[in-house]
Amino acid sequence: MNSTGTPIDYLPIVLMFLVALGFVVTTIVATHLLGPKRKSKVKDAVFECGIESKGNARFPFSVKYFLVAILFVLFDVEVIFMYPWAVNFKELGWLGIIEMFTFIALLLVGFYYLMAKKALKWED
Amino acid sequence: MRGILLQSAIISTPIEWYIMLSAVLFTIGACGVMVKRNAIIIFACVELMLNAVNLLLVAFSSYHSDASAQVFVFFIMAVAAAEVAVGLAILSMIYRNLKSIDINVLSKLKH
Amino acid sequence: MSTLLLNIPVTQYMFYFLSFVAILCGMMVVISKNPIHSILYLILTFFSIAGHYLLLNAQFLAVVHIIVYAGAIMVLFLYVIMMMNLNEKDEPNKKVFLKIAAVGSAGLLLLTLVGSLKGAEKMVAAAPLNTNVGLIKNLGQTLFGEFLFPFEISSILLLAAMVGAIMIGKKDPVK
Repeated sequence: MNSTGTPIDYLPIVLMFLVALGFVVTTIVATHLLGPKRKSKVKDAVFECGIESKGNARFPFSVKYFLVAILFVLFDVEVIFMYPWAVNFKELGWLGIIEMFTFIALLLVGFYYLMAKKALKWED
Repeated sequence: MRGILLQSAIISTPIEWYIMLSAVLFTIGACGVMVKRNAIIIFACVELMLNAVNLLLVAFSSYHSDASAQVFVFFIMAVAAAEVAVGLAILSMIYRNLKSIDINVLSKLKH
Repeated sequence: MSTLLLNIPVTQYMFYFLSFVAILCGMMVVISKNPIHSILYLILTFFSIAGHYLLLNAQFLAVVHIIVYAGAIMVLFLYVIMMMNLNEKDEPNKKVFLKIAAVGSAGLLLLTLVGSLKGAEKMVAAAPLNTNVGLIKNLGQTLFGEFLFPFEISSILLLAAMVGAIMIGKKDPVK
Protein backbone atom coordinates (compact mmCIF):
# COMPACT_ATOMS: atom_id res chain seq x y z
CA MET A 1 0.00 0.00 0.00
CA ASN A 2 2.17 2.84 -1.19
CA SER A 3 -0.50 5.42 -1.81
CA THR A 4 0.39 9.02 -1.19
CA GLY A 5 -1.74 11.77 0.15
CA THR A 6 -3.48 9.94 2.97
CA PRO A 7 -4.60 11.96 5.99
CA ILE A 8 -1.74 10.54 8.08
CA ASP A 9 0.71 12.57 5.98
CA TYR A 10 -0.81 15.70 7.48
CA LEU A 11 -0.05 14.73 11.06
CA PRO A 12 2.97 17.11 11.24
CA ILE A 13 0.72 20.02 10.27
CA VAL A 14 -1.79 19.05 12.97
CA LEU A 15 1.06 18.84 15.48
CA MET A 16 2.27 22.26 14.42
CA PHE A 17 -1.22 23.67 14.92
CA LEU A 18 -1.40 22.08 18.37
CA VAL A 19 1.99 23.50 19.37
CA ALA A 20 1.05 26.97 18.12
CA LEU A 21 -2.31 26.86 19.89
CA GLY A 22 -0.75 25.46 23.06
CA PHE A 23 1.87 28.21 23.10
CA VAL A 24 -0.74 30.93 22.77
CA VAL A 25 -3.03 29.42 25.42
CA THR A 26 -0.15 28.82 27.81
CA THR A 27 1.11 32.37 27.40
CA ILE A 28 -2.30 33.91 27.97
CA VAL A 29 -3.07 31.74 31.00
CA ALA A 30 0.40 32.29 32.45
CA THR A 31 0.23 36.06 32.15
CA HIS A 32 -3.15 36.02 33.87
CA LEU A 33 -1.80 33.91 36.70
CA LEU A 34 1.60 35.54 37.12
CA GLY A 35 0.87 39.21 36.53
CA PRO A 36 -0.27 41.55 39.29
CA LYS A 37 -3.87 42.72 39.16
CA ARG A 38 -4.71 46.28 40.00
CA LYS A 39 -8.16 47.40 39.08
CA SER A 40 -9.60 50.88 39.34
CA LYS A 41 -11.81 53.04 37.25
CA VAL A 42 -8.90 55.00 35.89
CA LYS A 43 -6.85 51.90 35.11
CA ASP A 44 -9.69 50.34 33.16
CA ALA A 45 -10.36 53.45 31.10
CA VAL A 46 -9.79 53.17 27.36
CA PHE A 47 -7.25 55.99 27.24
CA GLU A 48 -4.94 56.80 30.09
CA CYS A 49 -4.56 60.50 29.39
CA GLY A 50 -5.74 63.65 31.00
CA ILE A 51 -8.63 63.96 28.59
CA GLU A 52 -11.91 62.41 29.61
CA SER A 53 -12.62 59.44 27.37
CA LYS A 54 -16.02 59.28 25.80
CA GLY A 55 -17.73 57.10 23.23
CA ASN A 56 -16.74 53.68 22.02
CA ALA A 57 -13.21 52.39 21.54
CA ARG A 58 -14.25 51.07 18.15
CA PHE A 59 -14.74 53.66 15.48
CA PRO A 60 -15.53 53.32 11.79
CA PHE A 61 -12.50 53.50 9.52
CA SER A 62 -11.96 54.60 5.99
CA VAL A 63 -13.57 52.95 3.02
CA LYS A 64 -10.23 52.92 1.21
CA TYR A 65 -9.12 49.79 3.08
CA PHE A 66 -12.31 48.13 2.01
CA LEU A 67 -11.73 48.51 -1.73
CA VAL A 68 -8.21 47.12 -1.34
CA ALA A 69 -9.61 44.13 0.57
CA ILE A 70 -12.19 43.42 -2.14
CA LEU A 71 -9.55 43.51 -4.86
CA PHE A 72 -7.34 41.27 -2.74
CA VAL A 73 -10.08 38.61 -2.57
CA LEU A 74 -10.52 38.63 -6.34
CA PHE A 75 -6.80 38.39 -7.13
CA ASP A 76 -6.44 35.73 -4.44
CA VAL A 77 -8.91 33.50 -6.28
CA GLU A 78 -7.06 34.19 -9.51
CA VAL A 79 -3.80 32.94 -7.98
CA ILE A 80 -5.56 29.80 -6.72
CA PHE A 81 -6.20 28.85 -10.35
CA MET A 82 -2.52 29.27 -11.12
CA TYR A 83 -1.23 26.61 -8.71
CA PRO A 84 -2.58 23.59 -10.68
CA TRP A 85 -1.23 25.12 -13.88
CA ALA A 86 2.23 25.58 -12.37
CA VAL A 87 2.37 21.95 -11.21
CA ASN A 88 1.26 20.65 -14.62
CA PHE A 89 3.38 23.16 -16.54
CA LYS A 90 5.42 20.65 -18.57
CA GLU A 91 2.53 18.28 -19.38
CA LEU A 92 0.28 21.07 -20.61
CA GLY A 93 2.93 22.64 -22.81
CA TRP A 94 2.19 25.55 -25.10
CA LEU A 95 -1.55 24.98 -24.99
CA GLY A 96 -1.45 25.51 -21.24
CA ILE A 97 0.55 28.70 -21.65
CA ILE A 98 -1.98 30.05 -24.16
CA GLU A 99 -4.88 29.13 -21.85
CA MET A 100 -3.28 30.77 -18.86
CA PHE A 101 -2.27 33.88 -20.75
CA THR A 102 -5.85 34.34 -21.96
CA PHE A 103 -6.98 34.06 -18.35
CA ILE A 104 -4.41 36.56 -17.11
CA ALA A 105 -5.02 38.93 -20.02
CA LEU A 106 -8.71 39.15 -19.13
CA LEU A 107 -7.82 39.93 -15.54
CA LEU A 108 -5.22 42.48 -16.64
CA VAL A 109 -8.08 44.34 -18.33
CA GLY A 110 -9.62 44.61 -14.89
CA PHE A 111 -6.29 45.69 -13.44
CA TYR A 112 -5.98 48.38 -16.10
CA TYR A 113 -9.53 49.53 -15.27
CA LEU A 114 -8.77 49.88 -11.58
CA MET A 115 -5.57 51.75 -12.39
CA ALA A 116 -7.51 54.06 -14.71
CA LYS A 117 -10.14 54.61 -12.01
CA LYS A 118 -7.34 55.20 -9.45
CA ALA A 119 -9.01 52.69 -7.12
CA LEU A 120 -5.74 51.98 -5.31
CA LYS A 121 -4.72 55.61 -4.93
CA TRP A 122 -4.33 56.32 -1.25
CA GLU A 123 -4.73 60.10 -1.04
CA ASP A 124 -7.88 61.77 -2.29
CA MET B 1 -2.58 -2.09 8.38
CA ARG B 2 -1.90 1.41 9.48
CA GLY B 3 -2.13 2.61 5.90
CA ILE B 4 -5.54 1.03 5.40
CA LEU B 5 -6.98 2.38 8.62
CA LEU B 6 -5.84 5.91 8.01
CA GLN B 7 -6.26 5.90 4.29
CA SER B 8 -9.49 7.74 3.91
CA ALA B 9 -12.52 8.70 5.90
CA ILE B 10 -14.68 7.27 3.15
CA ILE B 11 -13.69 3.69 4.12
CA SER B 12 -14.60 3.98 7.78
CA THR B 13 -17.39 6.53 7.39
CA PRO B 14 -20.38 5.71 5.18
CA ILE B 15 -21.33 8.31 2.61
CA GLU B 16 -24.77 8.90 4.11
CA TRP B 17 -23.22 10.43 7.23
CA TYR B 18 -21.63 13.08 5.08
CA ILE B 19 -25.00 13.61 3.41
CA MET B 20 -26.62 14.10 6.82
CA LEU B 21 -23.87 16.47 7.97
CA SER B 22 -24.26 18.64 4.88
CA ALA B 23 -28.04 18.58 5.26
CA VAL B 24 -27.72 19.81 8.84
CA LEU B 25 -25.23 22.55 7.92
CA PHE B 26 -27.43 23.64 5.03
CA THR B 27 -30.45 23.80 7.33
CA ILE B 28 -28.55 25.87 9.88
CA GLY B 29 -27.64 28.31 7.10
CA ALA B 30 -31.25 28.47 5.91
CA CYS B 31 -32.43 28.99 9.48
CA GLY B 32 -29.96 31.86 9.87
CA VAL B 33 -31.26 33.50 6.71
CA MET B 34 -34.80 33.35 8.09
CA VAL B 35 -34.04 34.38 11.67
CA LYS B 36 -31.57 37.23 11.23
CA ARG B 37 -32.31 40.80 10.21
CA ASN B 38 -28.74 42.01 9.79
CA ALA B 39 -28.04 41.81 6.05
CA ILE B 40 -24.35 40.94 6.55
CA ILE B 41 -25.13 37.98 8.78
CA ILE B 42 -27.71 36.80 6.26
CA PHE B 43 -24.97 36.97 3.66
CA ALA B 44 -22.64 34.96 5.92
CA CYS B 45 -25.35 32.32 6.37
CA VAL B 46 -25.61 32.04 2.58
CA GLU B 47 -21.86 31.33 2.58
CA LEU B 48 -22.48 28.58 5.13
CA MET B 49 -25.09 27.02 2.83
CA LEU B 50 -22.66 27.18 -0.09
CA ASN B 51 -20.06 25.39 2.00
CA ALA B 52 -22.47 22.64 3.01
CA VAL B 53 -22.97 21.91 -0.67
CA ASN B 54 -19.21 22.07 -1.28
CA LEU B 55 -18.65 19.49 1.45
CA LEU B 56 -21.18 17.16 -0.16
CA LEU B 57 -19.52 17.57 -3.56
CA VAL B 58 -16.12 16.69 -2.10
CA ALA B 59 -17.56 13.69 -0.26
CA PHE B 60 -19.06 12.31 -3.47
CA SER B 61 -15.85 13.07 -5.35
CA SER B 62 -13.87 11.07 -2.82
CA TYR B 63 -16.40 8.24 -2.79
CA HIS B 64 -16.44 7.82 -6.56
CA SER B 65 -12.74 8.74 -7.00
CA ASP B 66 -13.64 11.38 -9.55
CA ALA B 67 -11.83 14.72 -9.70
CA SER B 68 -14.61 16.60 -11.52
CA ALA B 69 -16.55 17.43 -8.38
CA GLN B 70 -13.47 18.96 -6.78
CA VAL B 71 -13.00 21.17 -9.83
CA PHE B 72 -16.64 22.21 -9.42
CA VAL B 73 -15.77 23.31 -5.90
CA PHE B 74 -13.06 25.55 -7.37
CA PHE B 75 -15.60 27.25 -9.54
CA ILE B 76 -18.01 27.59 -6.64
CA MET B 77 -15.25 29.31 -4.69
CA ALA B 78 -14.62 31.71 -7.58
CA VAL B 79 -18.33 32.49 -7.77
CA ALA B 80 -18.48 32.97 -4.00
CA ALA B 81 -15.56 35.40 -4.09
CA ALA B 82 -17.15 37.42 -6.88
CA GLU B 83 -20.47 37.40 -5.07
CA VAL B 84 -18.92 38.54 -1.80
CA ALA B 85 -16.97 41.34 -3.51
CA VAL B 86 -19.99 42.84 -5.24
CA GLY B 87 -22.45 42.05 -2.45
CA LEU B 88 -20.43 43.65 0.30
CA ALA B 89 -19.73 46.68 -1.89
CA ILE B 90 -23.50 47.06 -2.37
CA LEU B 91 -24.12 46.64 1.36
CA SER B 92 -21.53 49.25 2.31
CA MET B 93 -23.06 51.65 -0.21
CA ILE B 94 -26.51 51.02 1.28
CA TYR B 95 -25.12 51.65 4.75
CA ARG B 96 -23.52 54.89 3.61
CA ASN B 97 -26.83 56.14 2.21
CA LEU B 98 -29.33 54.80 4.73
CA LYS B 99 -27.15 54.41 7.86
CA SER B 100 -28.62 50.95 8.40
CA ILE B 101 -28.41 47.43 7.02
CA ASP B 102 -31.53 46.16 8.72
CA ILE B 103 -33.49 44.35 6.01
CA ASN B 104 -36.74 45.79 7.34
CA VAL B 105 -35.41 49.25 6.51
CA LEU B 106 -34.31 48.05 3.09
CA SER B 107 -37.85 46.94 2.25
CA LYS B 108 -38.61 50.45 0.99
CA LEU B 109 -37.13 49.16 -2.27
CA LYS B 110 -40.51 47.64 -3.11
CA HIS B 111 -42.46 50.91 -3.05
CA MET C 1 -1.91 -1.92 23.48
CA SER C 2 -0.72 -1.36 19.96
CA THR C 3 -3.35 -3.69 18.46
CA LEU C 4 -6.03 -1.88 20.42
CA LEU C 5 -4.86 1.43 19.03
CA LEU C 6 -4.72 0.05 15.54
CA ASN C 7 -8.23 -1.35 15.68
CA ILE C 8 -9.80 2.03 16.30
CA PRO C 9 -10.79 3.69 13.08
CA VAL C 10 -9.12 7.02 13.80
CA THR C 11 -10.75 8.75 10.88
CA GLN C 12 -14.15 7.96 12.32
CA TYR C 13 -13.33 9.72 15.59
CA MET C 14 -11.98 12.62 13.59
CA PHE C 15 -15.24 12.69 11.65
CA TYR C 16 -17.27 12.83 14.87
CA PHE C 17 -15.12 15.56 16.35
CA LEU C 18 -15.05 17.74 13.22
CA SER C 19 -18.78 17.31 12.63
CA PHE C 20 -19.48 18.28 16.23
CA VAL C 21 -17.36 21.43 15.93
CA ALA C 22 -18.88 22.33 12.56
CA ILE C 23 -22.49 21.96 13.71
CA LEU C 24 -21.93 23.65 17.07
CA CYS C 25 -20.16 26.65 15.54
CA GLY C 26 -22.75 26.79 12.77
CA MET C 27 -25.49 27.07 15.37
CA MET C 28 -23.52 29.71 17.27
CA VAL C 29 -23.39 31.78 14.06
CA VAL C 30 -27.16 31.98 14.17
CA ILE C 31 -27.52 32.24 17.94
CA SER C 32 -24.91 34.85 18.88
CA LYS C 33 -26.11 38.44 19.04
CA ASN C 34 -22.85 40.20 18.28
CA PRO C 35 -22.19 40.18 14.50
CA ILE C 36 -18.42 39.96 15.01
CA HIS C 37 -18.86 36.80 17.11
CA SER C 38 -21.07 35.35 14.38
CA ILE C 39 -18.34 35.84 11.80
CA LEU C 40 -15.67 34.38 14.11
CA TYR C 41 -17.79 31.27 14.67
CA LEU C 42 -18.26 31.01 10.92
CA ILE C 43 -14.46 31.00 10.53
CA LEU C 44 -14.26 28.09 13.01
CA THR C 45 -16.90 26.23 11.00
CA PHE C 46 -14.85 26.75 7.87
CA PHE C 47 -11.74 25.38 9.58
CA SER C 48 -13.58 22.22 10.58
CA ILE C 49 -14.90 21.85 7.03
CA ALA C 50 -11.29 22.11 5.84
CA GLY C 51 -10.49 19.27 8.26
CA HIS C 52 -13.24 17.23 6.63
CA TYR C 53 -11.65 17.90 3.24
CA LEU C 54 -8.35 16.54 4.54
CA LEU C 55 -10.08 13.39 5.80
CA LEU C 56 -11.70 12.97 2.39
CA ASN C 57 -8.33 13.13 0.60
CA ALA C 58 -9.02 16.52 -0.94
CA GLN C 59 -5.77 18.03 0.31
CA PHE C 60 -5.39 20.85 -2.16
CA LEU C 61 -9.00 21.90 -1.69
CA ALA C 62 -8.48 21.98 2.06
CA VAL C 63 -5.60 24.43 1.68
CA VAL C 64 -7.47 26.51 -0.89
CA HIS C 65 -10.53 26.56 1.33
CA ILE C 66 -8.54 27.98 4.22
CA ILE C 67 -6.79 30.54 2.01
CA VAL C 68 -9.93 31.75 0.25
CA TYR C 69 -12.61 31.47 2.91
CA ALA C 70 -10.85 31.92 6.23
CA GLY C 71 -8.10 34.11 4.81
CA ALA C 72 -9.89 36.38 2.40
CA ILE C 73 -13.67 36.25 2.40
CA MET C 74 -14.16 36.23 6.16
CA VAL C 75 -11.61 39.02 6.61
CA LEU C 76 -13.67 41.05 4.17
CA PHE C 77 -16.78 40.34 6.25
CA LEU C 78 -15.01 41.49 9.41
CA TYR C 79 -13.81 44.62 7.60
CA VAL C 80 -17.34 45.51 6.61
CA ILE C 81 -18.73 44.94 10.08
CA MET C 82 -16.00 47.03 11.67
CA MET C 83 -16.41 49.68 9.01
CA MET C 84 -20.11 49.96 9.82
CA ASN C 85 -19.27 49.91 13.52
CA LEU C 86 -22.02 47.45 14.38
CA ASN C 87 -22.31 46.54 18.02
CA GLU C 88 -24.51 44.23 19.98
CA LYS C 89 -26.92 46.94 20.95
CA ASP C 90 -27.80 48.00 17.40
CA GLU C 91 -28.40 44.42 16.31
CA PRO C 92 -31.99 44.31 15.02
CA ASN C 93 -34.16 41.55 16.40
CA LYS C 94 -37.12 39.79 14.91
CA LYS C 95 -40.29 39.12 16.82
CA VAL C 96 -40.24 35.96 18.89
CA PHE C 97 -43.06 34.23 17.06
CA LEU C 98 -41.37 34.97 13.73
CA LYS C 99 -38.20 33.37 15.08
CA ILE C 100 -40.10 30.29 16.20
CA ALA C 101 -41.76 30.06 12.80
CA ALA C 102 -38.35 30.36 11.10
CA VAL C 103 -36.81 27.62 13.25
CA GLY C 104 -39.86 25.41 12.69
CA SER C 105 -39.70 25.79 8.92
CA ALA C 106 -35.95 25.10 9.02
CA GLY C 107 -36.73 21.90 10.90
CA LEU C 108 -39.23 20.94 8.21
CA LEU C 109 -36.59 21.64 5.57
CA LEU C 110 -34.15 19.33 7.39
CA LEU C 111 -36.84 16.65 7.59
CA THR C 112 -37.48 16.93 3.86
CA LEU C 113 -33.79 16.82 2.99
CA VAL C 114 -33.06 13.82 5.23
CA GLY C 115 -36.15 11.99 4.01
CA SER C 116 -35.37 12.52 0.36
CA LEU C 117 -31.72 11.52 0.76
CA LYS C 118 -32.52 8.34 2.67
CA GLY C 119 -31.77 5.92 -0.18
CA ALA C 120 -28.08 6.78 -0.39
CA GLU C 121 -26.84 3.71 1.50
CA LYS C 122 -27.61 1.51 -1.50
CA MET C 123 -25.19 3.47 -3.64
CA VAL C 124 -22.08 1.78 -5.05
CA ALA C 125 -18.84 3.54 -5.85
CA ALA C 126 -18.37 4.19 -9.56
CA ALA C 127 -14.62 3.56 -9.48
CA PRO C 128 -12.18 1.78 -7.14
CA LEU C 129 -10.82 4.01 -4.38
CA ASN C 130 -7.97 6.20 -5.49
CA THR C 131 -6.48 8.40 -2.78
CA ASN C 132 -4.54 10.52 -5.26
CA VAL C 133 -7.62 12.17 -6.75
CA GLY C 134 -7.37 15.29 -4.62
CA LEU C 135 -3.72 15.97 -5.31
CA ILE C 136 -2.90 19.16 -7.16
CA LYS C 137 -1.54 17.39 -10.24
CA ASN C 138 -4.71 15.38 -10.82
CA LEU C 139 -6.92 18.39 -10.30
CA GLY C 140 -4.86 20.45 -12.71
CA GLN C 141 -5.20 17.83 -15.43
CA THR C 142 -8.97 17.80 -15.02
CA LEU C 143 -9.20 21.58 -14.78
CA PHE C 144 -7.14 22.28 -17.88
CA GLY C 145 -8.55 19.38 -19.87
CA GLU C 146 -12.22 18.78 -19.33
CA PHE C 147 -13.09 22.11 -17.70
CA LEU C 148 -11.10 24.47 -19.87
CA PHE C 149 -14.04 26.56 -21.03
CA PRO C 150 -15.50 27.13 -17.55
CA PHE C 151 -12.02 28.13 -16.44
CA GLU C 152 -11.76 30.85 -19.07
CA ILE C 153 -15.31 31.97 -18.35
CA SER C 154 -14.49 32.29 -14.65
CA SER C 155 -11.89 34.91 -15.54
CA ILE C 156 -14.66 36.95 -17.13
CA LEU C 157 -16.69 36.47 -13.96
CA LEU C 158 -13.81 37.78 -11.84
CA LEU C 159 -13.34 40.69 -14.25
CA ALA C 160 -17.03 41.58 -13.98
CA ALA C 161 -16.89 41.38 -10.19
CA MET C 162 -13.82 43.62 -10.14
CA VAL C 163 -15.39 46.27 -12.34
CA GLY C 164 -18.66 46.06 -10.41
CA ALA C 165 -16.98 46.42 -7.03
CA ILE C 166 -14.97 49.44 -8.18
CA MET C 167 -18.03 51.04 -9.76
CA ILE C 168 -20.08 50.62 -6.61
CA GLY C 169 -17.43 51.04 -3.97
CA LYS C 170 -15.50 54.02 -5.29
CA LYS C 171 -16.60 57.42 -4.20
CA ASP C 172 -17.44 59.90 -6.90
CA PRO C 173 -14.52 62.31 -7.23
CA VAL C 174 -16.86 65.06 -8.46
CA LYS C 175 -18.63 65.61 -5.15
